[in-house]
Amino acid sequence: MEVLLGITGKDFTLIAASKAAMRGATILKASDDKTRQLNKHTLMAFSGEAGDTVQFAEYIQANSQLYSMRNETDLSPSALAHFVRGELASSLRSRKPYNVNLLLGGVDPITHKPSLYWLDYLASLAPVPYAAHGYAQYYCLSILDKHHHPDITLEQGLKLLDLCTDELKRRLPIDFKGMVVKVVTKDGIEEKPFDDDKVVKSA
Amino acid sequence: MVGKDCVAIACDLRLGLQALTVSNNFPKIFQYGDNVFLGLTGLATDVSTVSDLFRYKVNMYRLREERNIAPRTFANLVSSSLYERRFGPYFVSPVVAGLDPKTGQPFICGFDSIGCIDFAKDFIVSGTATEQLFGMCESLWEPDLGPDALFETISQALLNAVDRDALSGWGAHVYIIEKDKVTKRLLKGRQD
Amino acid sequence: MDTLVARYSRPAYHQNEVFTEQEQQDLADAVPGMPSLSLKFAMPPVAHPSAWLRAATDDRSNPSCPIKIAHGTTTLAFRFQGGIIVATDSRATAGNWIASQTVKKVIEINSDLLGTMAGGAADCQYWLAWLGMQCRLHELRHKRRISVAAASKILANLVYQYKGMGLSMGTMCAGVTKEEGPALYYIDSDGTRLAGNLFCVGSGQTFAYGVLDAEYRYDLTVEEALELGSRSILAATHRDAYSGGFINLYHVKESGWEKHGFTDTNPVFWKTKLEKGEFSNVTSDLAD
Repeated sequence: MEVLLGITGKDFTLIAASKAAMRGATILKASDDKTRQLNKHTLMAFSGEAGDTVQFAEYIQANSQLYSMRNETDLSPSALAHFVRGELASSLRSRKPYNVNLLLGGVDPITHKPSLYWLDYLASLAPVPYAAHGYAQYYCLSILDKHHHPDITLEQGLKLLDLCTDELKRRLPIDFKGMVVKVVTKDGIEEKPFDDDKVVKSA
Repeated sequence: MVGKDCVAIACDLRLGLQALTVSNNFPKIFQYGDNVFLGLTGLATDVSTVSDLFRYKVNMYRLREERNIAPRTFANLVSSSLYERRFGPYFVSPVVAGLDPKTGQPFICGFDSIGCIDFAKDFIVSGTATEQLFGMCESLWEPDLGPDALFETISQALLNAVDRDALSGWGAHVYIIEKDKVTKRLLKGRQD
Repeated sequence: MDTLVARYSRPAYHQNEVFTEQEQQDLADAVPGMPSLSLKFAMPPVAHPSAWLRAATDDRSNPSCPIKIAHGTTTLAFRFQGGIIVATDSRATAGNWIASQTVKKVIEINSDLLGTMAGGAADCQYWLAWLGMQCRLHELRHKRRISVAAASKILANLVYQYKGMGLSMGTMCAGVTKEEGPALYYIDSDGTRLAGNLFCVGSGQTFAYGVLDAEYRYDLTVEEALELGSRSILAATHRDAYSGGFINLYHVKESGWEKHGFTDTNPVFWKTKLEKGEFSNVTSDLAD
C-alpha cells in the first residue's frame, strides 16, 4: 500500500511518496522519506521489497554522484533513467534481483525541460507526463488523465496532487500517513509543505 | 508485410500491466541502419533490453565491416543472439523487415523467443493479437502491392486486429520501407 | 472410488445434484409464487459440481480453462438531487479476446427500475430478467409497485442461496419511488447488499471512482451529472483493457428511467482530448 506519485508541469516535476513505512500489519514509522536526490536536478522515489528499495536507491545515488564528481557535470534525467534501467535489468536476471519500483523525475539542466520516468521492478521504462505506482495507479491515473495539462503551474500541480491524495484517503483501506512532496525545478530540489491532516469524507 | 519492391512493418503503442494501461507511447519498432527494422513484442523490459543489445551489436558490426548490416545478416544475428539465452530466454518474439541492400528485394522473417527463424514471403505477425492478425492478413494481403496499397493493407490489418484484442492497441506506428525512402506514420487507433 | 460407485449405481445427475428435487420444491415454496422452472438447473454428473465448474471456467486460476465466461466491465451509478445516473461500458471479453463491443449492460427490469451487469454476463442477464418477473408478480399481488429495497433484497437472497456454486455477478439496482425517493443498491454474488450514494463495479471501477469522486456532489445539475457519468466511464475504458466499446447512459427519475444514448467511445475520446486538452498522455502527433 505504498503510494508514489509524479506529475510534470510547465517548468517543474513533482514527486510525492507516502510517509508510512509498513512491515506486515505494523506501521514502523510515519515520517519515512522514500526519495533520494541523484544530482542537482534529478530525484528518485522508490517502493517495493523492504531493504532492496533503500539499498538500490543509494547505490544509484552514489554512482550518480560519483559521475558528477569525476566529470564535473551532471547526467541528464534521461541519461540517468536509462542507466537505472540498465542496472535494474541486469539485476533482474541475476541470482537475487532487486524488487524495486521507481519514479524518476527531473528537469534537464540545459534545456530546462521537465521529465518523468516510470520504472517497475522488471525494469520496464516509460517516459510519461504523470505516473503512479502501486494501487495509486488504479485510482490516480484516471484523475490525472482528466485534469492534467502539460503547461500547468506549480500551484495547479499541487492542487492536482491534492485531488489524488484525497481520492486515495477516500478509497484505500489502509492509512498511508500522508505524503512527502518534493519539487524539481531548474534551480534544484525543494521539499513542499503538504497538509497531511485533511479529513476527506466519502460520498 | 511484403509488397512490390517495398516492405511495411507496424506496431501498436500500448505498454500495460495486464489490465492496466501504463503508457500509450511505447513503440516496439526499432531501426538499425537505412532499411533494416526490428519489431519486438513481449515483456516490456526485454523489448528495451533486446533493442539496446542489437543497437550495440549492429553498431559494432558497422565499425568492423565499414558498411550497414543487411536484413538477412541481421536476422541471423538475432537468431544466434536469442539462442545464446536458450536456458533463460528473453521473453520477446521479434520480427525483422527490410530491403536487401544489393538486390532491393523485400525481406521479412519472424522468430520465437529462442531464435528459431520463420522466413515468409507474405507476412509475419507476433504479439498478443496474433490470431486476429493472421485472420486479417490472410484475408487482406495480396502479392505485389504498391507502397500506398501496402500502407492501407497493413494499417487496416493491424487496427482491426487490435480492436478485437483487449491487451493491444492505443494507437500505432507504421513504417513503409522503399528503396531510398522510409515513411513513418502514426495511426490514431481506438483508445479503449 | 466413491465417484465410480456413484456413477454406476444411479443416473449420475440425480445422485449428485446439490439441490434435490424436494429441496428445489422447498425453495420454490419459500418464495411464494416462484415458478419451479427457474430453479431447475441440471447439475454436471460429477462428485463436486461447484469445484468442477470452477476448474472448467475460472480463467484466473486456470488460464487454459475450456469454457471462458464473459468478464470485465465498468459500471457506475450515483444518486444526486435530480435522481440517479446509471452508466456502463459495453465490452465483453473472454480472456484477452474481445467477444463483443456492443453488450447492453444496463438491464431494464421494468419501466422504472434499472439493473447493471458486471461479472458473468449470463448470470446477470438471467437473474435480472428473473428479478423483473418477480417484481411484476409483486405488483400483481399487492396492486402497487415494488420498492427498490424489496426488489434488491429478492435478488440478494436469491444469489445467497447459490453462494459458493460459482455465480459471478456484481450488480446495482436503481430506481426512484414515492416512498424511498432515489434509491440505489449494490448486490454481489457473495451476498453483499448495500444501499449507498455512489458505486462503481467491475474491473475498471477504480478508474471510474477516481474521476467520479473528484467532482461528485449531491447537488449536481442533471446536465453535470450526465456528463460526469459518461466521463467516468470514458476514463475507465481508456485505462482498463477489459472495458471499452460504447457508453450506455441512463437517468432514473420518479417518472421512470430515461435513456441518454449508447455512444461510441472513440469519437468522444478524441473530442475530449483535442477540444479540452485532456488525456495529455496520448500522442496525436508523430513529432511528440
